[in-house]
Amino acid sequence: MTLDAVKKVLARETTACLDSRAMPKDKGHPVDDEGRRFLLKVGVHSLGAGVAAVTAGPALAYLAYPLSHDTTTGAHGFITVGRAERFKEGVPLKVDLLSDKMDAWNRIESVKIGSAWIVRTGAKLVAYSTVCPHLGCAIDFDGPANKFKCPCHRSAFGQNGQIEEGPSPRHMDELEVKEAGGLLAIRYQRFKQGVSDKQIV
Amino acid sequence: MLAKVIDWLDERAAIKKLWHEAADEHIPGGARPRYVFGSVLMFLFMQQVVLGILLASYYSPSATDAWASTAYISDQVTAGWFLRGLHHHGSSAMVIVTVLHFFQVTLAGAYRKPRELNWLTGLIMAALVLGFALTGYLLPWDQKGYWATQVATSIMGSMPAGDVQQRLLQGGSQYGNLTITRFFALHVFVLPLALAGLLGAHLALFRKHGVTPPVMPQAELDRRMDRFFPKQLFIDLVAMAITSAALVFVTFSTHGSELFAPAQPASNFVARPEWYFLFLFQLLKYFHGPLQIIATVIIPGAAATFLVLLPWLDKAESRHAKDRLPVLLGVGTLMAGVVALTGLAMAEDKANEKYQKDLIVAHKEAEYARELAKKGVLPQGGDAVFENDPMVGAKRVFKENCSSCHAIDGIGGAEAPDFGDYNSRAWLTAFVRNPESSRFFGGTKHKDEMDAYPPNEVSDAQLSEVVEYLLSISGVPPQDLDAALAQKGSATFSNPLNCADCHEIVPGKGGSSPNLAGRGSVEWISSMIKDSGQAHLFGDDAKMPKFGAKLSADEIGRLAQLIYNQQPYAAPSPSVASAH
Repeated sequence: MTLDAVKKVLARETTACLDSRAMPKDKGHPVDDEGRRFLLKVGVHSLGAGVAAVTAGPALAYLAYPLSHDTTTGAHGFITVGRAERFKEGVPLKVDLLSDKMDAWNRIESVKIGSAWIVRTGAKLVAYSTVCPHLGCAIDFDGPANKFKCPCHRSAFGQNGQIEEGPSPRHMDELEVKEAGGLLAIRYQRFKQGVSDKQIV
Repeated sequence: MLAKVIDWLDERAAIKKLWHEAADEHIPGGARPRYVFGSVLMFLFMQQVVLGILLASYYSPSATDAWASTAYISDQVTAGWFLRGLHHHGSSAMVIVTVLHFFQVTLAGAYRKPRELNWLTGLIMAALVLGFALTGYLLPWDQKGYWATQVATSIMGSMPAGDVQQRLLQGGSQYGNLTITRFFALHVFVLPLALAGLLGAHLALFRKHGVTPPVMPQAELDRRMDRFFPKQLFIDLVAMAITSAALVFVTFSTHGSELFAPAQPASNFVARPEWYFLFLFQLLKYFHGPLQIIATVIIPGAAATFLVLLPWLDKAESRHAKDRLPVLLGVGTLMAGVVALTGLAMAEDKANEKYQKDLIVAHKEAEYARELAKKGVLPQGGDAVFENDPMVGAKRVFKENCSSCHAIDGIGGAEAPDFGDYNSRAWLTAFVRNPESSRFFGGTKHKDEMDAYPPNEVSDAQLSEVVEYLLSISGVPPQDLDAALAQKGSATFSNPLNCADCHEIVPGKGGSSPNLAGRGSVEWISSMIKDSGQAHLFGDDAKMPKFGAKLSADEIGRLAQLIYNQQPYAAPSPSVASAH
């Protein structure tokens, strides 16, 4: 087929096309096919949405997994800190609380998850969190002054954990203790800082 | 409202023009199903990117964390197995659709002038797709990925100047943290960026030259002309939906992607590459020693060169298939070779009993490791998951507390009974025959408390009756117990062996020697470990230290289970710890 012949055919076809399918400007968009075009558009959008949903649906549940599961956990139960008799009256003793910890896929054995001060009054043992209720610094015991003192903002507490001076909004946080078979165990918890009531976080 | 937003955007960013440029693209000859492959590949690539980002939000690329985090995704995170499965099978889908695209382009002659650059960018992208597969395979750091990738990097090392390349890629002389960080960087940054760049070029070139329409007169092409939107896009989306459905089906029917046990550099594994690399794997079997380079470099290199040069090798006058027979024949031969080699590799593996057996073991080990991983994996690394096996812990306790006197697996002292094969017929027979042997009480203070029964006093037949009887009254009678034989043994027990003079058989009753009822169960062994001086055990004659105060009940329970597991009648333990 020669080039001229092609041109002729092309011209004829185009004219025919324009006439018969009424496409004044928009070749390839037959006006009389509006209904079909609409269906195709609906098909495009619904198939597109379906194909995307295959990934997007499960992805939402996947990303939201930490909302419904504990991904990092320390000890929920009591942690043994030693024989009860080692704690002497009048001498607060600081103990480290070691526990297994879960961090997503890892299980970490015997990591320090916190500390506590143990105070003996007669037969009674009381444990206080070392975390200052003010802003979370680690509370020390000042032997000569016989007071617990926070090194950051000068909060001071008596051996009974009662606030005596400084900005702390509440007394030292007491932790639950349990004695069994001569062993002392503590339930470690952390509390919201800077508020006057003790709220577990 | 939406219209207003679009107008606002359009005034500033001319988005309507952009859309029309894409949507109104002319398709001479009309929309056709055979044009879908490029679009499906783009869809798959985008889906892989999204899935990859999702996986990266839980995955940790380090030799110690990779396996455990992958197991976490597969077995714990909601829908993790599904998304990981889609990503895994998505790579296979990309390879398949790439090959289909390649066939369509070759058959249509779409590589010919002026589309040589479309062809070359396409070939490079196909190579990148394989690069994705190769780098991604290692990332779970499981046995399969670890050992299969070792093969790939070793091949690299065997090439001229390959040492340096291998060391660079591995980040050292051996696999480790740097191998995984490098493969990760390649897989999630370098390759996607390279592919996206080439894809941009490929698409721009495609838009410049348009589709390669069927061979027909221009007038006919014009008459049948369609625009990309909506008809071609609709056909493309149907193809994408079919691909997506197939992926979902495969993902469900395979329960996602497999994850073998964590990489154990000291072990061995039946390493196989992913199915689309099997032809190269098979090729390696035919060329050994100095000839290996033929399989690794020369043949693949020649094939790649042939494909690269295809637009220039094709000197046919027209795009008609019949004019291009030599070229099509060449490509066909190449593909036939690939298919044949792949088939051979699969057939050989199918017929290879050892491989099939090893694979079953590998799957069992994988299942067990993944079960243990749910308790959390110690930070030492994926392999440390086996520390969660109670028997591994029990073995440590055994080693610290028991092995100076008792032996298991042939390791331990000879001062007290050996637990290897504990409570089997052979073990009991040998025991009764000669309790004074060093295998039993020979090294203990119990040595002279029980007499031996030499063959001239007790025949083998009598002994086997008694042993069967002992098993019948034990805490764990075997399934294949011979009741008749045991019945005979109950008489032989008293006469002529006189066992009943010292041993009670009424459960719980004390005597001068251990009561033989209920013997051998986990509870019985626990009780023995706790305190062998109980009345129904050794009583005042007990010589073994009492472990009830020294070990926790939990530790004693696991120790008892460990000893119990030594006996052949024990229900098969899921533990593969003994293999370590």
